[in-house]
Amino acid sequence: MFRRKRTANDFSAEIEEHIRLERERWREQGMSEEEARTAARRTFGNVMHAEERFYESGRWMWLEHILQDIRYGLRMMTKSPGFTAVAVLTLALGIGANTAIFSLIDAVMLKMLPVQKPQELMLLAVRAPRGWQEPDATFSNPVWEEIRKEQDVFSGMFSWSEFQLDLAPGGESHNVNGVYVSGDFFGVLGVRSAAGRLLGPSDDVRGCSGAAVLSYDFWQRHYGGAESAVGEMIRLDQHLFPIVGVAARGFFGVDVGKQFDVAVPICAEGVIPVFGEPDGAKFLNRPSAQWLRVMARPKAGVSKEAIGARLRILSPGIFAATTAQEWTGDERKEFLAGTLQVLPGGGGISDLRRDYSEALELLMAVVGLVLLIACANIASLMLARAAGRRKEIAVRLAVGASRSRVIRQLLTECVLLSVLGALLGVVLARWGCALLVRFLSTADQRVFLEFALDGRVLGFTTGIAIVTGLFFGVFPALRSTRVSPTAAMKGAEAAEGTGKSHQRAGRWIVISQVALSLLILITAGLFLRSFRNLLTLDVGFDRNHVLLIETSVPHPDLPPGQRAMLYKRILERLSALPGTISASESLVTPISGEMWGMDFHLVNGGGPAGEEADAYMNFVSPGYFSTFHSSILDGRNFDEHDVANAQPVVIINETMARKFFPGSRAIGQYLVTRDFMNDHRERMAPPREVIGILKDTKYRTLREDSQQIAYLPIAQAEVLSDPAIFEIRTAGDPALLARAAGEAIAGLNKNISLNFRTLESQVDDSLQRERLLAILSGFFGGLALVLAMIGLYGVLAYRVTQRRKELGIRLALGAQRSAILRLILRDVTILLLFGIAGGVGISLWTTQLTRKLLFALNPRDFTTILFSALMLTSVALIAGYLPARRAIRTDPMIALRDE
Amino acid sequence: MDGDGWWDVDDRRNADGRLELLQGTLDLLILRTLLFGAEHGQGIARAIQQASEKELLVEHGALYPALQRLEERGWISAKWGTSSNNRKARFYSLTAAGRKQLVKETNKWERLAGAIGRILDPARER
Repeated sequence: MFRRKRTANDFSAEIEEHIRLERERWREQGMSEEEARTAARRTFGNVMHAEERFYESGRWMWLEHILQDIRYGLRMMTKSPGFTAVAVLTLALGIGANTAIFSLIDAVMLKMLPVQKPQELMLLAVRAPRGWQEPDATFSNPVWEEIRKEQDVFSGMFSWSEFQLDLAPGGESHNVNGVYVSGDFFGVLGVRSAAGRLLGPSDDVRGCSGAAVLSYDFWQRHYGGAESAVGEMIRLDQHLFPIVGVAARGFFGVDVGKQFDVAVPICAEGVIPVFGEPDGAKFLNRPSAQWLRVMARPKAGVSKEAIGARLRILSPGIFAATTAQEWTGDERKEFLAGTLQVLPGGGGISDLRRDYSEALELLMAVVGLVLLIACANIASLMLARAAGRRKEIAVRLAVGASRSRVIRQLLTECVLLSVLGALLGVVLARWGCALLVRFLSTADQRVFLEFALDGRVLGFTTGIAIVTGLFFGVFPALRSTRVSPTAAMKGAEAAEGTGKSHQRAGRWIVISQVALSLLILITAGLFLRSFRNLLTLDVGFDRNHVLLIETSVPHPDLPPGQRAMLYKRILERLSALPGTISASESLVTPISGEMWGMDFHLVNGGGPAGEEADAYMNFVSPGYFSTFHSSILDGRNFDEHDVANAQPVVIINETMARKFFPGSRAIGQYLVTRDFMNDHRERMAPPREVIGILKDTKYRTLREDSQQIAYLPIAQAEVLSDPAIFEIRTAGDPALLARAAGEAIAGLNKNISLNFRTLESQVDDSLQRERLLAILSGFFGGLALVLAMIGLYGVLAYRVTQRRKELGIRLALGAQRSAILRLILRDVTILLLFGIAGGVGISLWTTQLTRKLLFALNPRDFTTILFSALMLTSVALIAGYLPARRAIRTDPMIALRDE
Repeated sequence: MDGDGWWDVDDRRNADGRLELLQGTLDLLILRTLLFGAEHGQGIARAIQQASEKELLVEHGALYPALQRLEERGWISAKWGTSSNNRKARFYSLTAAGRKQLVKETNKWERLAGAIGRILDPARER
């Protein structure tokens, strides 16, 4: 049953007709035209009244009112453009910051993968092994193949692994994001192709020659979206693969924060020895090479519990079938004890999520506080303005508007302000998001995030806009409508009463603003100091003026002797470059995120003694320590005599020396290791003589405690790795030497691919999160400070204006200007003291949340709190001084006459 | 927005001594008038005045909101038509629900009138 609403015009037409009929009737009864009209009108009564009733009978009345309120609100806004601009801008900053951070949280933590029924997807993992905090979600190829073969609870499964692929034919590499995918990858995810076809099960069979699928973006970037790209060959790590198709637009892979460029089947590992394994097929067969992640979709109607139970039963068989021959008894036992489990996989996997979740949540809290301060600011502006509008409101109440109607009007104005702020804020947020992504990206990894203005973000922004508007509006609206119309209309005198309570309210607003902004300042201070701690940390090496060069030789079957010769000649050429101070070669470089470990034993009577202890290790050439400016504290450096057939030697760092040789000199003692780089047999290598002690250096991250590190001469390495890493200490800007270094190496072999970066950028990139937190919290701290100061200034300025008469009288009666100044500054001081006490109180409790994100800093760091409070105080005194100065410059006569 | 018709008994002057309508009675009178067939607003007003021998004062201005209300409740329906003197007018007619409502309201009114009558003149009732 649907009844169409009558229009107001229809109703008026009816009434008009009625009056005409009446008039005619009176005419018929002999009245004059004039008399008839009057009579008709009189018997009808109030036309307007009837029409009004008609209006209000409609259910759309509220809409009519809102439209009216909005029109009125807009008029009020254009009347005071200054206030509107300040309010909208403040809100835009607040809402924009919140939207930006929330968009990031949405993209990184909340959004599901853009694939078919993402909520169904499950990530396979091995239940947290002993000593691990999290389940291990990486599998070797044999285990993956065995699970796929044995399972009967999933309707589809796929596995994948990400890695960098080089597009260049040699020379400086052009890396793109590659992904190995199993044959069912695209099918199970339900991804469509934008051109050509996607990889299928028939592409992923052992011994395949490989095929490539491009991502839509990569296709657009590199091929301009040309259909003809399909069928072309693409060079990946110097091997040619046919492009068979392009994945649908919007599909970025299953790793949130990254976007794949090229996908190749897992079997292509047989063609590209990406993991430095000379024999790719062997790598695919090796149970100790955990490099694949596995996702699955359950069969219809199979519960998560049922899957878990089934996997528990299947696990022993799967692991028993894939145990490696070369493992020790313990390794075997641990492997066999593994139990498969499923984790939710709809959100994909993400390093970004792992590293940034906490930081993002914290930033969300910070921007929430900023918005709160902004609200408080506008609330106090509104209060001040309400004083000016008291007459207007009184008039409206006097002519019959109900209080609730006026409150609704005032609230509409507020929501209008915040909606305008939100519109501008969304623009700021988009810009902010782009900036944040740039922040998160490193030289190695461009961060890719999809920031669609989706329902969740839109809902969030709309929600905070409305809540914000109501929040800062309710209080002033309630206050300003609590006036007696007659009193307010009589003038300022009568309004004194409400002025007092306005002041009281304003003071509380300022106190909470001061407290909140101090809280943000302290948080920002903590992050800044923590970041500074990391920057100024003694890392044990000099990060400046070092160029790192990663080389990869595209001949996996190059005989070791020739490879060693090639590396030696590269090192010679690099050392001879003009601008090179020293050059060296090593297995890893500090803070690269990579690590190599080794188990060491003490040697007693020629054999291993005591517990074995794990240490980080590195193979280095003799020039390494001088290149990194790391100092040898005791003993000697490696030299040209420490070669393969000579006495095995080792240099250990202070921490390792303390651990292994407490209280005695380590030099001249021996350590023994199991054979490394060659884990096929358990065999003790010949004992190594400790020849030097190195000052402690950071190995993997700047945040780590002092680690035990052992350095072995690279000349005594059994297997030479590919890629190899060379480093040069330069006299000038290391980046400028890259070109010359590249040419020098190309002179030896044009096909060698090269990656350049500076040690400085490598260290910087490892501090990404800390930098983000420091910069953003610093920025928001500044913003909070400015907002709070505007608030303080506003309240004081308003107060001074209100008290002009009193001040004028005081001055006229001979009060000292300094006394007046003291009077006002005392006010400021009281507000500040309350605010600071509150802020410090809250911060003692809440900054605990930052503990995990801080480096070498107590969340209750006294210096930070003190410094933040001092900063706030000094800025507040400036904000307070301006109105105070105006007050003491008051000309008593003018002030008095004004009244 | 169920109007209870408070405007029907607005305190307006009553110079010619006619009776004002009691609250809620206008609805009943409209429904009753429409029992004879479709009629436009002015016709309804005149009919009520005529039938009451000009004893009742129908404030024409109050009539239309009342008609609107009854229409919204589904007791009467309306459509534009042509009046006897060839003018466009909105004609109202009783719906089935309106008829039922009329019976109900009439009963209610008669009981009320009876009760008041008994209070005012107990003797006569006996």
